Amino acid sequence: MEKLIEILEELQPEVDYETCENLVDGRYLDSLTILSLVSEIEDEFDVEIPTVEIIPANFNSAKKIWELIEKLQED
Amino acid sequence: MSSYFDLLYAFVFLPLTVLIYAIVPKKHKYIILLLASFLFFILISKQLVVFLILSIISIYLGARRLTKLDKELESKLSTLEKEEKKPLKEKYKKKKRLVLIAVILFNVAFLFSFKYLKFFLTNTNLLLNLLHIDYEFKIIKFLAPIGISFYTLQAIGYIVDVYNGKASSEKNILKLALFLSFFPQIMEGPIARYEETSSSLYKGHKVTYKNLCFGYQRILYGFFKKMVIADRLNILVKIVFNNYMNYSGLTAWLGVIGYTLMLYAEFSGTMDVVIGSAEIFGIKLPENFRQPFFAKNISEFWTRWHISLGAWFRNYIFYPVSLSKPMKKITTSARKVLGNHYGPLISGAVALLAVWLLNGLWHGAGWTYIVFGLYHFVLILLGSIMEGLVIKACKKLNINRENKVYRILQSIKMTFFVFIGEMIFRAPTLAVAGGMLKKMFTDFSIKNVSLSTLGLDIGDVIVIIVGVIFIFVISLLKEKNIDIRKKIAKKPIYIRWALYYALIMSIIIFGAYGAGYAPVDPIYADF
Repeated sequence: MEKLIEILEELQPEVDYETCENLVDGRYLDSLTILSLVSEIEDEFDVEIPTVEIIPANFNSAKKIWELIEKLQED
Repeated sequence: MSSYFDLLYAFVFLPLTVLIYAIVPKKHKYIILLLASFLFFILISKQLVVFLILSIISIYLGARRLTKLDKELESKLSTLEKEEKKPLKEKYKKKKRLVLIAVILFNVAFLFSFKYLKFFLTNTNLLLNLLHIDYEFKIIKFLAPIGISFYTLQAIGYIVDVYNGKASSEKNILKLALFLSFFPQIMEGPIARYEETSSSLYKGHKVTYKNLCFGYQRILYGFFKKMVIADRLNILVKIVFNNYMNYSGLTAWLGVIGYTLMLYAEFSGTMDVVIGSAEIFGIKLPENFRQPFFAKNISEFWTRWHISLGAWFRNYIFYPVSLSKPMKKITTSARKVLGNHYGPLISGAVALLAVWLLNGLWHGAGWTYIVFGLYHFVLILLGSIMEGLVIKACKKLNINRENKVYRILQSIKMTFFVFIGEMIFRAPTLAVAGGMLKKMFTDFSIKNVSLSTLGLDIGDVIVIIVGVIFIFVISLLKEKNIDIRKKIAKKPIYIRWALYYALIMSIIIFGAYGAGYAPVDPIYADF
């Protein structure tokens, strides 16, 4: 989780990732930033994020993104 | 009946459908909606309904076939050893992909024939002429069925969702037909996903007093936007765009700003009628506008304006293209050279280009639409590249980006870019767009600026200004998450009815109809 927050802060430093729960709906992460994020997550955590999983519900908070990573690691 | 603003629609077609829907038993209510939808389609597009039916049948058969293949695979997998599973999965993936591609091609072929064949043949003839090849294709132009651009995207979205296991394939073809042809949506969207609206469409809701009030309230607001603002601005817009060379740059600006406001009032007003109509039946359609002029930048603007179209392109073009295998390879190499932030931008840029070229073309077969798409591609890509630098610069200069003044300046900059984009969008040819652009930035003389030459009088201007302020205040309240409709609903009955009455009277008195006015044709229905 710490590593994930590190990646997020590098991409978009103006957000408190511990509390923010509308990263996508609040437009803190736009489509191009999500693309960078997906690419970094795939490298760092050795997972492959299918395009169908790229929905606001999975990316609206650091916690949700982390849950997605854990789910993909289990699969 | 020709549009949702036809009085026949609001006062005859819709109330009659509501009445029959209300008295029919719950389990048959969806059939009433389907019959009304087909009647609506036939009233406007007549025998072209055959293409809607063919499209529905192809989507139905394709989706059922995909589900059958999924079930077949599942049952075969349960009997196999682990190492035998992978090749079988690959085999079925290929089979499913074939079905998906066939269905998409079948539907896109209709769209292409109706919408793009003329443009394609005209440009091919020009190219042949340039190459001195003595051959000319005969230009054919078909009359397109209403809403073909909208229902084709919704249909493709559904079949892709079934393919990806994100939607279940509907067993009942009548229900699927309703999802694809629901009359309030068919002409201008919103383009909905199956999981978003289907269950609500099939459920068979009670017609309640609250839904009737809320629905008609929203329809009235839509009529206000269209008839009081858009239809009035249409006069000015037509004159300026058709004769821009006779006017100064300042007048050209007036025409461009007028067009942007008109387009917003017309399209968001249509959405109010559409969503309000569905609301009467207890059906919640997704919103298509979210106060677009409060956006911080052009990229955000497109997540607030025609939301469902942007979402469609993001879900079915942007991510699938940028995260495809070849693109991922490019991203991996690019990240090594350009770093983590800028590396993925290369595949992002390719996907963004595809999105905006298609977005432009989706609006119409014409070079102005293609340039409109490319214009947004460049703006959004530059915005993304600059974002990091702007954040750093603001930090250095101690500028708080959440500061009100900074936010207002951002919105002004964004609106300026929207005006230019909409000018390209509205211009009949690229030459006109170029000519107007030149005027807007070089000719600041005050000639022919009098209202009479623009087809308006002082009364019209006052009505437009007051109307726009009214819409702005409502948008501002919405932006602050204040639910005006709920607030009105809590007021005593005499206040509520006084408000409704005032809105109705303002449409009757200030609506731009009758001699001297030319109502805007449904703009998005032509796309």
